[in-house]
Amino acid sequence: MTGLREVGKRRPQAGIETRIRGGAIYTQDVTLPGMLYGAILRSPHSHARIASIDVTAAAALPGVQAIITAEDFKNRRYYHLGGTYSDRRPLAKDKVRFWGEEVAAVAATSLSIAERACALIAVEYDVLAPALTPQDALRPDAPEIHGKDNAVAGRNLAVRFSADYGDIAGAMAKAHFVLEDEFAHGIVAPCCMETNGTVARFNPDAGTLELWTATQAPYFIRKEVAHLVALDEHKVRVRSVEIGGGFGGKSKVCEQEALAAMLSIKARHPVKITLNRRDEFVSGKTDHAKRIRIRTAVAEDGRILNRNVSVQIDNGAYTAYAPTYVGASRQRTTCLYRIESAHYDCDLVYTNKVPGGQYRGMGAPQTIWAIESHMDDIAKRLNRDPLEYRISQANQPGDVTPLKWRISTCGLTDCLQNVGKMIRWDEKRNSPAPLRGVGVASMIHPSGGVIYQEGNFSNSRVELTGDGQIIVHTQTADTGTWQNTTLAQVAAETLGVNTSDVSVSHMDTDQAPDDLGSAASRVTFVTGNATLHAAEHLRAKILTGLSQQWNCGVEDILIENAVARHGTEPHRTADLTEIARLVGPLSADGFFTTPGERPDPKTGEGNYAATYVFGAQAAEVEVDRDTGRITVLRMAVAQDVGRALNPTAVEGQIYGGVLQGIGMALLEEMVFEEGRPVNASFLDYAVPRIGSAPKIDISLVETNDPLGPYGAKAGAEPTINATIAAIANAVFHATGIRFKTLPMSPDRVLAALEERDGKKPALKPWKRVYNAEVAAVRVMYPGVVFPALRKVGTKFARLPEKSKTPRILVPGSIAELLEFPSNKDTKSRIVAGGTDIFVGMKQGIYAPDQLLDVTRLPDLQGISLERESAPVLRIGAATSLDSVSRNELAARYFPALVSCINLIATAQIRRVATVAGDLCQEKRCWFFRSAFPCYKLGGSTCPCFAVLGDNRHHSINGAKRCAAPNPSDLAPLLSALNARVKVIGKTGIRYIPIEELYLWSGLTKLEKHELIEAIEIPIVPDTSSAFRKFGLRQGDFAEASVAVLAEWSDHRVRSIRIFAGAVSPLPMRAIAAEALLTGTRLEPSLVSAAAETIVEGSLPLHDNEYKVPLLINLTRQALLAASSHSA
Amino acid sequence: MRIDFRINGIDQSIELSNDEMLVNVIRERLELRGTKIGCGNGECGACTVLVDGDAVCSCLIPAHRVAGRSITTIEGIAKENELSPVQAAFVRHGAVQCGFCTSGMIMSASALLAVNLKPTEADISHALAGNICRCTGYRQIIDAVLDASGQTPLGHEPS
Repeated sequence: MTGLREVGKRRPQAGIETRIRGGAIYTQDVTLPGMLYGAILRSPHSHARIASIDVTAAAALPGVQAIITAEDFKNRRYYHLGGTYSDRRPLAKDKVRFWGEEVAAVAATSLSIAERACALIAVEYDVLAPALTPQDALRPDAPEIHGKDNAVAGRNLAVRFSADYGDIAGAMAKAHFVLEDEFAHGIVAPCCMETNGTVARFNPDAGTLELWTATQAPYFIRKEVAHLVALDEHKVRVRSVEIGGGFGGKSKVCEQEALAAMLSIKARHPVKITLNRRDEFVSGKTDHAKRIRIRTAVAEDGRILNRNVSVQIDNGAYTAYAPTYVGASRQRTTCLYRIESAHYDCDLVYTNKVPGGQYRGMGAPQTIWAIESHMDDIAKRLNRDPLEYRISQANQPGDVTPLKWRISTCGLTDCLQNVGKMIRWDEKRNSPAPLRGVGVASMIHPSGGVIYQEGNFSNSRVELTGDGQIIVHTQTADTGTWQNTTLAQVAAETLGVNTSDVSVSHMDTDQAPDDLGSAASRVTFVTGNATLHAAEHLRAKILTGLSQQWNCGVEDILIENAVARHGTEPHRTADLTEIARLVGPLSADGFFTTPGERPDPKTGEGNYAATYVFGAQAAEVEVDRDTGRITVLRMAVAQDVGRALNPTAVEGQIYGGVLQGIGMALLEEMVFEEGRPVNASFLDYAVPRIGSAPKIDISLVETNDPLGPYGAKAGAEPTINATIAAIANAVFHATGIRFKTLPMSPDRVLAALEERDGKKPALKPWKRVYNAEVAAVRVMYPGVVFPALRKVGTKFARLPEKSKTPRILVPGSIAELLEFPSNKDTKSRIVAGGTDIFVGMKQGIYAPDQLLDVTRLPDLQGISLERESAPVLRIGAATSLDSVSRNELAARYFPALVSCINLIATAQIRRVATVAGDLCQEKRCWFFRSAFPCYKLGGSTCPCFAVLGDNRHHSINGAKRCAAPNPSDLAPLLSALNARVKVIGKTGIRYIPIEELYLWSGLTKLEKHELIEAIEIPIVPDTSSAFRKFGLRQGDFAEASVAVLAEWSDHRVRSIRIFAGAVSPLPMRAIAAEALLTGTRLEPSLVSAAAETIVEGSLPLHDNEYKVPLLINLTRQALLAASSHSA
Repeated sequence: MRIDFRINGIDQSIELSNDEMLVNVIRERLELRGTKIGCGNGECGACTVLVDGDAVCSCLIPAHRVAGRSITTIEGIAKENELSPVQAAFVRHGAVQCGFCTSGMIMSASALLAVNLKPTEADISHALAGNICRCTGYRQIIDAVLDASGQTPLGHEPS
């Protein structure tokens, strides 16, 4: 296709001028007159019967305008996929099935009143035993989560599927060998930057409802909400708004939509509900965990004779779209590469966890990870190069797959060859640098598949307004994918106008005709075709109108560059304004439905999609042997996009998809305890930050699909599909280790490297006497101690009272601060930066009555050299971390301090957080921070959840009743530097060495009415210092850190101080290592031996053994750094 | 408590409620809604604004602390109709997808370029680590910041 003027060109994003100036209106920015704020009461149990709900006290709270419970929705449930899959109510009735389930909702004049009202709703629960994993849920005696109406395939089974494809027996008879393997991964989450939210406005006079909502699919929102609040669909209107990311997390009805609608109907006011970040993780927008067994029969020449795949999917407590995950994983396993025969079976299992939603790829990235890891192993067994082997088995045009997909255009071979070239495969594969590797993977994805019960159709409308504007009206939502830009390009190309002449109005269900929305990468292909047809119709109408005006045939008129010309009478021209004047306002609709076939319900067979997308990715990685960190150095991505309607937009999707894939591969996983997420924040759930972005080379392979609009296929969603697999294969190349669980996070990688190398450091736990007692208690913890404390002890827990609003007081001097009245009923806390305390109040771990803000106290600010006796560097307690790192004196005397601070948190936090605040911050244990009724939060009758729960971040040393490690980076460094804090109290001044500051993690020796005025670090000549830290992600808290101060005399160490952080409740001094190194020159061999001793006396927990080698390696690094400073 | 401060070059005087955070003053009192809330806990950077030139998370700053200080939000970063160099580079490089992180990104990048005229890619990574973007994969953002500082972007054109 040549001569294209708008399609295929790099056009800027539609609406960019508004977005870049902050003027775009997202749902959270919508405010309406009389608007109320909604809050949701969530279940505090994973599985329980609701005995009673009493809203009397909440209703009496001034400002409360409406309260809703399950009764308000009668017996209506979400449709979702319909039939037996329709299992969830907008608010729980009779039973709650996961922690965080919606139980009631309140609308009030302010959010804080609504939240307080929620806390006043009295719900009585009869707690039931939960089934938290698919394995547990499939036991014959497992608690029944749903009845037989929904668990139709057996107890807790929403789906049980099994099918054979082709002549399996015949294929197996020809097998040269059979390979078998098993892969598993946990739950990840889309994490849109904009959380879900809705503003609902019910008009009681007209009986109409308007919704401003963060959704990908207005069509389904209208359908679901109208049904749930019992309005006719045409009475519900979804309005246009900006969407802050989708990735599947907004592709179904999200729970706040129906709740805001019902609250608005009841309160007769507009109601806004904005989910907070924690709600996002707990309430049903996540992906699904899977276990994938795969067995492949291979012919001598490498042909895949049979691929047999068995999958188990964790549905969570309710079914949303997980049955389509069954389909998506079936499609990849039976259709990627040429396969002679196949078997696929799958269980979709209910558990008492967050109901899975959808996330980019619908499970394909992990399914392909399993297939492609396996393909690498097959190539190895065949002694063939993995890239060459894949090319030999690649799908080709004209192929029919076991699932009866008829492959038309297919650029897979080109994609594989292109990524090989871009990554310099032969060179890097055959002579890799140490701990570096390259890997490759392919992917397949339907374009225009029959996704929904409704099929897969689109209506689009293109309008010429009376004043000459061209507007495309689509119900699909541009969630940031640039879909509005590409739709404008399609319309512009077809009409003969410029893309800048076309605006796109998205989402509004009253203005745009029906379309199924922006999911499954369907907009370019399906809505693009509908828009193309609409624009053709409009063009025909314009030409007809003009031909009547100009008295000529339509074939005599040419529209180009937004100007219509009479072919033979060149003086007759009309720009868009003139065209509109001549022919009047016009509009035209276009319709497209996929020619794909509905899959056979029993087997899934059928040519499901209009066409298929292919692609390949190659990764180059480097593995850090000391820490286990995998760095993706470079990615090469080639994708058969049919045609790139806008290369900048497609590249943006590739960059973004690859980075999300890196998150899945290396960082992301939700962690649960008792079914309750413990890492529901961006602190603990690590999405990739900017430092994770590798170099990415892109090759767009254009196969010009005959069915696509201007040849285009789906592009955005599948960019993620091959990323995990390519990285995993590169890691295998670099290390020889095949990871079978995700993510390949540093803790797992380091543990695997240690095992590979047969390393087993001597821990000598008997060196610490208390370890005998700790070990004994741990043995009894699962059977005796934990159940007793959990069941009985936590009844006496004294948890901080939530949703209090403290007074903030700002004293002008220390004297004034110390004089502030306080009695035993008033809990005061000193606040400096506030980066811990303000977050902790929301987490429910602090509930002060008053906060004393010390940032205005001049004595607490500044950095100076003090020479009263011995010279010290004095740092005011409330000096920001950033001020220290930029200070010349600090840089001159303590470069290790500056490098340490630059590893703490992020730029924004360092500008606010203070030095004393870092020292005094509360512990970071994720059970404590999630307000579990633990020993430290609830009191001495409560258990430590870290002993049995996921304890990868916890102490390996000194973990007695509480396993939380000291989180401060400055604590070990300032301890090593022999620093002390100057403390002022009512009785005078005292000094505490930082080494002795702590009673426990997050607990200092400061008394009530004492505050730290300054930190003093002695300046000692002939010293060198160093600090090393490892965090799992950029800006993270330490998993381990080591600080060293060496004092030199005649090139020998006269004295040395070594402290470790984040491995024990207190900063841990390495006395044995210090003794070994005193008097030496810190020779490398001695350093290594001394480093090994730092873990003596450790008693790791079950998930944090990796901290042992990590600590040794960081110690060695820090010591070597200190020795290189000696000159 | 009443506080006086300057925001986007305009003097303001506001009666604060006790627990009010800066982001609330900006978004709800002054209706400058280009500053976004992505987490409310200082973890994502969507609410980043400049206080006396320093990029901070406005969700973690008690509003009383900005008394007498000067704040710049995304609405104040352009000069009249002319986009700032960072904004213009974001447009040129297609560094915006959903746009929700964009305001914060631009504030952090602007604060960086104010003190570091020619940042390296490592400098950019250090300065922008507090701003999460889930859409772009950051490549186009890195190129935009390099370009805004007059440096050649690394370029990730299709081969």
